[in-house]
Amino acid sequence: MNLKAVQFVFGIILIFVLTAHSLYAQATLSVSVTDSSGKVVGNAKVTVKNAATGLSTEAQTDSTGLCTVSNLAVGEYEVLASGDGIGTAIAHVTLTAGVEVQQTLLLTVTSVSQAPADNLPNAPTPNKTEPSLEDLGFSKTDTQANAAQQALLDKRTHMLKMHQRFGLITTVPLLATLITSVNAGGKSTSTTDRNVHLVLGAVTGDLYGITAYYAIRAPRIKGTETKGPIKLHKALAWIHGPGMILTPILGAMAYSQKSNGEKVHGIAAAHGPVAIVTAGAFGAALLSVSMKF
Amino acid sequence: MLKQSTLTYHVSHPLHQSEGVSRAARGKGVCHDGQCDFLIAVPVKSFDSGDSNRDLHMIQVTRGAEFPMVTVRTRLPESASASATVKADLEVQFAGQTARYQQVAFEVVTQGDEKKISGTIPTTLTDFKIDPPSLLALPVKNEIPVRVEMTWTSQ
Repeated sequence: MNLKAVQFVFGIILIFVLTAHSLYAQATLSVSVTDSSGKVVGNAKVTVKNAATGLSTEAQTDSTGLCTVSNLAVGEYEVLASGDGIGTAIAHVTLTAGVEVQQTLLLTVTSVSQAPADNLPNAPTPNKTEPSLEDLGFSKTDTQANAAQQALLDKRTHMLKMHQRFGLITTVPLLATLITSVNAGGKSTSTTDRNVHLVLGAVTGDLYGITAYYAIRAPRIKGTETKGPIKLHKALAWIHGPGMILTPILGAMAYSQKSNGEKVHGIAAAHGPVAIVTAGAFGAALLSVSMKF
Repeated sequence: MLKQSTLTYHVSHPLHQSEGVSRAARGKGVCHDGQCDFLIAVPVKSFDSGDSNRDLHMIQVTRGAEFPMVTVRTRLPESASASATVKADLEVQFAGQTARYQQVAFEVVTQGDEKKISGTIPTTLTDFKIDPPSLLALPVKNEIPVRVEMTWTSQ
């Protein structure tokens, strides 16, 4: 068969199967493929591609040149038909919910050249088909939608947003605890100052625990190499994490010694320095993901 | 065929200026009747900003696992490749949405049988119905221009 100058007519009739009460309205697309003389084309390959998702469905016309693709979501579609040795045709159709539409499109292929068009700068292929993702050689894993992965990413983002939010909230009682430490320690004998410091420290510890929970429980994404400021952010957790455990223990010891009228001594004397290092590491962790250095 | 490319998106935040770069784009042009149809596609996950946390967040917010590819389609007259500047109407599919940009200017430099094409696509978050990500309660700017540098060769 002479491939040159063969035309065919590609007719499309849309039939919607609509469920008015359904959020997920579906449609059925009936495709009729004929050549330029009006003769039906059997065994033609029909590809129906959702413009929004890029997902494709393939079908083949029967001996009457018809095929039906059902369970399609409403939306815009690219419909491509090709017949061996005949040519190809393409159409864009819109499947709309709530309206039963029958539409016929006539598409014409003017010519299909067998000769390579060496003079063309962009490597033409010997037909009129627009290039597709398949032509570009991407693997299926590159192009396939992964709803489970998206759900995992959504959960991760949610948990890290909570982590960020609680981290910011924690800085308020943390700073207040540091400020009140001036009157709680040293030669001060005020029980009230010590108690205020204790309460603020306890609030800080609790909020810190919640902050840490969201970071620890956020899903890990396989195959992701940690790089950038988040590396420093995570490394600093190895300082402020143990510090947030040690500080209240040492604080409780210091509180007890002061309440007994003793001078803070022994390991309890490290409460202040440990708290400062912990707060410093916490602040640096916050800045590491907030500012660009 | 697209021989090599660099696509760079730029995100502005009051505390940050970030860029994500991908060199994983592939493209093809098919010419007929004096017109050339081009398709350029790049995996969303291939963009690297140097911060794995930001990249994962970018994939999440753009629904990159559900819609893993960014595609750009355009049609140009064959004669356009001879010009120093090309203005192209682009159809960009990204994050499950399609946006069209008219008359986007690209510079064309011919070196032997290679065409080096560069320009900036003025994309915005709202074009693709993407909620602006925020850091410390401050959202990023809506504009996310994408710088495109491509080298095309004849097949």
